[in-house]
Amino acid sequence: MTLSECYDAMGGNYDEVMSRLRKEERVEKFMLKFPGDKSYENLMNAMEAGDQEEAFRAAHSIKGVSQNLGLLKLYESSQELTEAIRPGQGELSGPRIPSLLSQVTEDYKRTVNAIIKYQEESVAQ
Amino acid sequence: MGNKILVVDDMEINREMLREILEDSYEVEEAENGRRALELIKDHHNELAVVLLDLIMPEVNGFAVLEVMKSQGWIEKIPVLVISGEGSLDAERRCFEYGVSDFVRKPFDDVLVKRRVQNIANLFQYQNQLEEKVEKQTGIVKKQYQLLQHQAEQLKKSNANIIDILGTVVESRNLESGEHINRVKLYTGLLAQQMQKDYPEYTLTNDQVELITSASALHDVGKIAIPDHILLKPAKLTDEEFEYMKSHTTRGCELLYNIKGVWSEEYSRISYEICRHHHERYDGRGYPDGLKGEEIPISAQLVSIADVYDALVNERVYKSAFTKDEAFHMIVTGECGVFSPKLLECFRKVRKAFEELSGQ
Repeated sequence: MTLSECYDAMGGNYDEVMSRLRKEERVEKFMLKFPGDKSYENLMNAMEAGDQEEAFRAAHSIKGVSQNLGLLKLYESSQELTEAIRPGQGELSGPRIPSLLSQVTEDYKRTVNAIIKYQEESVAQ
Repeated sequence: MGNKILVVDDMEINREMLREILEDSYEVEEAENGRRALELIKDHHNELAVVLLDLIMPEVNGFAVLEVMKSQGWIEKIPVLVISGEGSLDAERRCFEYGVSDFVRKPFDDVLVKRRVQNIANLFQYQNQLEEKVEKQTGIVKKQYQLLQHQAEQLKKSNANIIDILGTVVESRNLESGEHINRVKLYTGLLAQQMQKDYPEYTLTNDQVELITSASALHDVGKIAIPDHILLKPAKLTDEEFEYMKSHTTRGCELLYNIKGVWSEEYSRISYEICRHHHERYDGRGYPDGLKGEEIPISAQLVSIADVYDALVNERVYKSAFTKDEAFHMIVTGECGVFSPKLLECFRKVRKAFEELSGQ
């Protein structure tokens, strides 16, 4: 699987990220770091604990990183969730939250799975 | 200001991305939270070219960092670029209020990040250098100013010395004059201060008041050129003798004219005015020039009334002393000299102080 194919699998925009970061090895390096980031885990824990501040911060982080990496799908869903739980504007118990959260989960897993697969294939080569 | 960049972001991927983009041109330091950032800024604020700051971080967030940077004065020396994805107008406004230079938007773009960092770093470097230069030059100017002030002070002292020396000469020539000179000086000072306060149209400065007071000691300097048999004659002078006596004004001027190179122009001018014109009358019937009204320099007007008052309340070889009341009335009714209405007004106001002085 090429890096570009991996981006397709993640629902990302390969051309966009390449135009910004300019080098393929750079894009690859940062993409490979993404599964190690704890933000998603933090988001889930905070949602469970009902900690809105922390949940907002974690969602905001996912949004920022996915935007920097050109992970378009995840960026969109995390952005929607971030705004829906922004302190002072939304609540964790809001009616739209479960579906927004499950969309983030779906996009996150899809992204991480694609990256793991890309990594396995490149190691196998 | 050095070549270091501090990247403050709780997300490692974001920090590393900025490091990659910037490490060719700068030495990149990273802080994963606000507290660590403040430690690094405190230790390295002289080496930092730019701080790249995220806003939303756990514990000490970006706003708290800005708060400290502002209160410590760091933000004026180190440019801050905010890298948060926070897009709200309110957050942006708050950032600018703290003194943030600009924003670097997500997603990071290699060229845009480099350019923005470089531009702001250059701008601040230029500004800081300029400020340093100005500070240095201000220091030099200040020193020179102090030196000038010191020299002016010295000059003033030496001018005052010349007056004292001349005054002593007058004093040694005539037993009566010593205390007279001192009292005239005190009276002149009181009148001049009152004049300065009540009649700003004379534009008397503090320095001028001081100078007039000091120079009043020279009003009779010309008397050193008058022979004793006229100066100390215990009887009425003949017309011829009186004419000669009057020449003490112009003789004094000649003396001052001869030394005018050794002291400042203003001292010389005011001493000359006083010496020549302290016997002029406001109605034009005085001597030596018959000046009328405000043609008479204010310095000479002030001294003339002080001189007359002191002559009245003290005994002279040619007359006995009048009482203070008599002297006061003789002056304000025009019985003894003619003075400007404004000057008389001042004289009335300082009457009490005059009387206290004359009693000493």
